[in-house]
Amino acid sequence: MPTALRAERGVTLLRGRRDGLEVTLAGRDVADALIELEARLAEQPSFYRGASAVASFGEVLPSPQQLGQLSDLLASAGIELRALSGRAEGLEALARAEGFGVEAPRSADLERRRARREQAEVRLSEAATSLVADFAGARSDIAQRRRRGEASVPRPRVETPEPSRQLHVVEAPPGTLYQAATLRGGQALHHTGNIVVVGDVNPGAELVATGDILVFGRLAGIAHAGARGDESARIYAVDLAATQLRIATFIAAEGDAKRKTRATPEVAVARDGRIAILPLDHLADLNGSGALA
Amino acid sequence: MSGRRIVVTSGKGGVGKTTTTANLGATLAKRGKRVILIDADIGLRNLDLVLGLEKRIVFDLVEVAEGRCQLRQALIKDKRFESLSILPAAQTREKDAITAAQFTAIVELAADQADYVLVDCPAGIETGFRNAVAGASEAIVVTTPEVSAIRDADRVVGKIAQEGKPIRLIVNRLRPEMVRSGDMLSVDDVCEVLSIELLGVVPDDEEIIDTTNRGEPVVLDETNRLRAIYDKIARRLEGEIVPFTNFENQNLFGRLFGALKVG
Amino acid sequence: MHQLQSESPQAQPGTAAAKLGRAIVLTSGKGGVGKTTTTANLGTALAIRGARVVLVDADIGLRNLDILLGLESRIKHHLLDVLEERVSLDDALVPGKHGDNLFLLAAAQSREKDEVETAKMQALIASLRERFDYVLIDCPAGIELGFRNAVAGADEAIVVCTPEVSAVRDVDRVVGLLGNRFRPQLVINRLRPQLVKKGKMLSVEDVNAILRLPLLGVIADEPAIVVTTNKGEPLALHKETQTGAAYHAIAARVAGEDVPAPMPPAARTSLIERIGTLLGGKRA
Repeated sequence: MPTALRAERGVTLLRGRRDGLEVTLAGRDVADALIELEARLAEQPSFYRGASAVASFGEVLPSPQQLGQLSDLLASAGIELRALSGRAEGLEALARAEGFGVEAPRSADLERRRARREQAEVRLSEAATSLVADFAGARSDIAQRRRRGEASVPRPRVETPEPSRQLHVVEAPPGTLYQAATLRGGQALHHTGNIVVVGDVNPGAELVATGDILVFGRLAGIAHAGARGDESARIYAVDLAATQLRIATFIAAEGDAKRKTRATPEVAVARDGRIAILPLDHLADLNGSGALA
Repeated sequence: MSGRRIVVTSGKGGVGKTTTTANLGATLAKRGKRVILIDADIGLRNLDLVLGLEKRIVFDLVEVAEGRCQLRQALIKDKRFESLSILPAAQTREKDAITAAQFTAIVELAADQADYVLVDCPAGIETGFRNAVAGASEAIVVTTPEVSAIRDADRVVGKIAQEGKPIRLIVNRLRPEMVRSGDMLSVDDVCEVLSIELLGVVPDDEEIIDTTNRGEPVVLDETNRLRAIYDKIARRLEGEIVPFTNFENQNLFGRLFGALKVG
Repeated sequence: MHQLQSESPQAQPGTAAAKLGRAIVLTSGKGGVGKTTTTANLGTALAIRGARVVLVDADIGLRNLDILLGLESRIKHHLLDVLEERVSLDDALVPGKHGDNLFLLAAAQSREKDEVETAKMQALIASLRERFDYVLIDCPAGIELGFRNAVAGADEAIVVCTPEVSAVRDVDRVVGLLGNRFRPQLVINRLRPQLVKKGKMLSVEDVNAILRLPLLGVIADEPAIVVTTNKGEPLALHKETQTGAAYHAIAARVAGEDVPAPMPPAARTSLIERIGTLLGGKRA
């Protein structure tokens, strides 16, 4: 992948600061980033209303058209693009020409330190980073369906008991589906609630749960937790080697590097708009909402 | 102008339909064509594996057919090429999850956005095969120079010919030394049985197994001779007259084996 | 050539004391991995050992088992003729070329798989089990109706897989579809030890790390297999060859013998190659 397209590690696209929002386009392909930004904003359309934002471009110099697209996109979510920041030659002139303020770029040092700190906490491969933009289109569709109230995945099978002779039907509360067998390729478990598999989930198999997913074995297929939008859902596995992990509307896939060390139990959580994988002994650090303390 | 809709089929499994679809598609894309590959093997999908795109699948053919997503969302763009995308099959469904009419509609939709739509057909001659052929206006039949494969290809040629669709032949996994020793049928033998236009001859290559396992189409390897061979196939598909390489058979058992066609 | 013996009298077909034979389906999902070759060779090996064996080609419309046995010119009637009661089973069974206890029930070539009724297929296999020690069913590729019909009459399954990612995935799917009724055993076909050593092919361990099935045997790839296929002479007829021996070992295990665990054939060098090396020639 060309270097210019590689997103800077650990720096999120849209981030809150004390004085408003920051859209970090540095190190990204502007067109891809705009698609991803649109998807992010679509998920919580009125959340940012009234905020102002600074767009930081790093070395990249956007075209006036791209700048206009960005400004319009933010405006449609009620966000005012107030200033640009970056090191590219001509950025300042562009900002003034289009009527935006200019913000001095943060010292490269500070950015690097921040990036390193965030990097130490998450493990995200290059492939997964680029996938974020790929899936943005898919996610926007998922987000739209959620807004319309449809499930973002094939409707999970809800276990309901036989209707009783009385007038009302009792719907069983979502529980945990327990499967003590390996799931072979092409088999799928969809469940309202949590899913526990004692055995492997082979490549080509699929788990979809509205709650958490636990695999007491090797997870090599696709696992989707929080399928109705619960971003605090988690995926645990003794050997986490999934083809794809999905939590709520976030999707990630591992890089291609073959794992040489013995697998250790890990958990996948969603934070900061992406999926992070943590060794299970860090479980104690996860507080109730699923965010790292 | 709508693109060409070509099904790659064989009857017999394991002769190289998926590898051919992937490599021919990649070659056409390298030549500047807009190519969409569609995996019609619902439940046994492999096209995504062969191209190394498995991890990027979000939506699939069946979900497009059921209207749960749009075609453009299901298409996965292969970043190694300018204009190559694939529509993966569903893995957790069965072949009856889609009707011939639905499949045809999707192929036609794809053809509106591409110069070439290649459909990777499942093995056999059942529903999956029928659906895959229904959407196409032309066919490429792949066979190996073995009696069982040829017999199956013949059955398939018979079925497609009934629909009046043009059919061309690719002979795959040829081993010239085995043809010379009389242990394998020659291309001429194959053509004589099947009587359809020969599009190409691809020799057996050890590298294919490894590159397939790793999800890299062999035509990406500049040092592999298959690259040039698929290029010739692509050119013939485009209508160019490209001569076949002839290896005159030196080993005369008192009769001429016929020029050994490769390429 | 081997002199094939029939089994002892109590196994003669039709007698009340005859034990019910075993119906084993050979399947894979992926085409071209060697199901038919394995069916032909396993059947041949079992017959050489003295069992009464019938091979059933369930690949309606794409029949190939007859070619592998060299019987294509001797097919007068096929499976659908029997199912549709146009001929008796006896008339349709084609004796193998070698010995008198191997028979073939060929598929129809010009018919379709959906013309087979599952219940009738089950009844046919059941009646074959009364007459034979082993009923080997050669399953078509895929997971559609043809597959389901082939599996319907069987009570055991052997899955055949090659050391390739696509094949492993397809076989895994099939194992899932076979469900709890079967405990399939695995035959790994077309292994090339040289390529495995170079890291260019999956090893037996790689394959079974996903499939996790009891291993029945491993067959290494060799050009002789294609040759004998085209000539209609299964290699199991030649027990002294590497492949022939491998199939006989598989047959022994199927028969319940305790044959030592199958090891992938070592990348053994043939005499020619060794001499070549000594003389400074290129290794194949």
